[in-house]
Amino acid sequence: MTLPILPTAIVGSYAMPGWLERLKTDYFARRISRHDLDEIYDAAVKAAIKDQETAGLDVITDGELRRDNMVDYFAERLPGVQIDRTSKKFYYDFYDSAVVGKLPMASMGLVQDFTFLNTFTDRVPKFCVTGPHCLTKRIRNQFYPSEEAFATDIARVMNMELKALVKAGATVIQIDEPYYSGFPEDLAWGVNVINTLVEGVDARIAVHICYGNRYGKPSWEGSYRYLFPTILKAKVQQLTLEFARRGGEDLDLFKEFNAPFELGLGVIDVKNTDIETPDMVAQHIRKALEVMPAERIHILTDCGCFHLPRDVTFAKMKAMVEGAKIVRKELGK
Amino acid sequence: MILKLNHLKVKAAATTQGVIEAVYALVEGGQIDQGQFARLQVELDWIQYKSNFREAVIATQGYNAFGQPAPIMDIHVDTRQVVPATLRADLLRAIHYAQAGEEENACRLPLEEFQSLRSSIVWKFNRFFWRHLLAWEAATGQGYDKALPGGSSDGHNPLAIAEDVAEFLDLLCALRSKNQLPVEVNLLEIGVGNGSRCAQWLDQFHELDQQRGTGLYPHVCFYMGDYSEDTLNKARLTVAKHIDHCRFVQVDAINPIKSLAHLRHKILQVHLTNVYDNLPDEEVVRRDGKLYFVQVRAYVPTAAVNSIGGKYGIRPELFRDRVHNMLETGFDSFGGAQHGVPFWQELWAAMRLEERLVQLEDLPEFPFPDGLDAGRLEDILHDAPTDFRFHLSSGALESFIHTLPLLHPRGYMQVFDIFVTDLAQYRTGFFGPGKLDGSLLNWVNGALLKEVAQREGYDVHFRPFKYRANTHTSILYTTRRE
Repeated sequence: MTLPILPTAIVGSYAMPGWLERLKTDYFARRISRHDLDEIYDAAVKAAIKDQETAGLDVITDGELRRDNMVDYFAERLPGVQIDRTSKKFYYDFYDSAVVGKLPMASMGLVQDFTFLNTFTDRVPKFCVTGPHCLTKRIRNQFYPSEEAFATDIARVMNMELKALVKAGATVIQIDEPYYSGFPEDLAWGVNVINTLVEGVDARIAVHICYGNRYGKPSWEGSYRYLFPTILKAKVQQLTLEFARRGGEDLDLFKEFNAPFELGLGVIDVKNTDIETPDMVAQHIRKALEVMPAERIHILTDCGCFHLPRDVTFAKMKAMVEGAKIVRKELGK
Repeated sequence: MILKLNHLKVKAAATTQGVIEAVYALVEGGQIDQGQFARLQVELDWIQYKSNFREAVIATQGYNAFGQPAPIMDIHVDTRQVVPATLRADLLRAIHYAQAGEEENACRLPLEEFQSLRSSIVWKFNRFFWRHLLAWEAATGQGYDKALPGGSSDGHNPLAIAEDVAEFLDLLCALRSKNQLPVEVNLLEIGVGNGSRCAQWLDQFHELDQQRGTGLYPHVCFYMGDYSEDTLNKARLTVAKHIDHCRFVQVDAINPIKSLAHLRHKILQVHLTNVYDNLPDEEVVRRDGKLYFVQVRAYVPTAAVNSIGGKYGIRPELFRDRVHNMLETGFDSFGGAQHGVPFWQELWAAMRLEERLVQLEDLPEFPFPDGLDAGRLEDILHDAPTDFRFHLSSGALESFIHTLPLLHPRGYMQVFDIFVTDLAQYRTGFFGPGKLDGSLLNWVNGALLKEVAQREGYDVHFRPFKYRANTHTSILYTTRRE
């Protein structure tokens, strides 16, 4: 499947409907069954796919609506991680989870959710996974001698899973590592872990690095300068970064360090309900074109849209699509 | 009948006995029927503040969503005001008034229709007070802060400021060690008063910064927010020494981000002292599994209308219009503040609120304050007492919700105020509204703020205000949730 120039996508999550939040919490309160919840998830994911397609996005995700948050979905599936299921009151809270022994190599069962996505869209599907660095910051380590060792073992388990995703048809995989920005001192080993994670995975790999989006708010502030030059060692095709909220100053880093990656250009602020105009989006893209050719730029939201209202998310996606069209036209593409 | 004793000190035993005897006498006399008696809830309390909107005994009638009387009635007895000799008559009168509903009452002059406390005329009086503060202070001969418990604002407490300055400087150093220190270190105070806290804070910060050699004072940018331009001008003089580090912004306390949107996620410290307790509020009652909205109507007792009116040459039939006229146009009709302010003060002292409970039938359609909806309220009430009355703290909640987005990811917000920190506290006492000089005072439902903030991604803690003995003030402290 061929993508147009400046292809559009959301970073990962779609707007979480209020009714789904309540039903998820109902599940934790034992008011609805797992079977019912799974059917509800299927319906919600289909609706999120349809919304993305209707808005005109080129690359489609499942909206991550089955996930309570970016950690627990993986913590529950990582073999060997112990979870205190009484430890959360609201679905979005984090479980109290811990690793107390070496992680065994076993399937995480992500393929099923990817297959569902792939079945219900005929556009390019993107599957997003939370990266090992982020997971080590949330799952208590009671076994490994260091965070790096723990993250490396998570990467080994997840590497097998990514290969299974590729076998099931995944061509675009995104790894989310928002905690790099909070712990820049970890970056050197974090990149090694990423390389372990993607080794032999035959797909277009993007790494998404933002400044956090928990509850729709940034967790840190600063400059992406901390990424360079260390990040250049990452064996991935794309860096997906947030620029809409923070401004485009850091774009120059790609030029300064002659970064070989594609750029996943965040043009939609997901921490603000104000809806961008297509012209604003186009302006962001033009700025990026000053440092990188159009062929290497993907047009994205700054981060997941999990915390935005659905109507706002839809309007933002449409603005993003229209903004990309404006620039494509200018480029004669 | 359910009898609740919230105060066991002065006169409690004698008053309790008197209330029981009086209620039985009313049942025997047929003034209260058996059905009413069975559902009657009588609450005895020591009403704080001494100056408030309640008579010694008030009764609150319940209504269903269609405006028909519902079979619930609450009776509130203020053990501070009540006089044993008149208890029975007071009870009878209170019940009569409650059952009369909106009918004309010869003993009271209503100033408005029954409505939410939030939209009541009492808040117009509150705004009027702040608008004409200088005139009020001139008449009383003292600053408004002298009326505060302790005689000054807790925000000005030097020890509290010193600890905060040290904590803040530590935070800045930690950020700098990770190369995460913003170029501009933004702080915000909402409701700056005369600017004294800001001036003290900057003095102490400058001094500590020099002592430690941290060199951070030049980065500080202190936003001083208040809705009154006069107040900001006054505060400007107080912080003259640090003027290059101060910005003055007219801010609506209910929606700070409206005028400060450019500072979204950029403020490292937000501070408020005694702002939330002075913002419009409304109350809800949970009884027998149903929710009732408390509607109020401000009135002036006819006796006060006659005495005040007689003194200022206002005929009773024109009294209400003169009150509204004063709130709209000031003291012109009195020939200036010299005569107008004494009228205002006497009127304010005499003003009372009557109440009724109206069942909330269609909860999702209720005009909840920003940050709250039916689902969240139900979740919050899940673990709350079954029968109780609580504040929605609408103004405080909206202010809080519209301030949080200003916080830098590593920033914090501190609010010095009078908080109910646990919903269970509402079962054991009365928490306003009261009168403080010419302004309104209400405890703030901190427990509600905490729950709402948690869903928005913030942790809220309450700390006692340890810098002054016997204070009701506590500190709400908020940071981004990890």
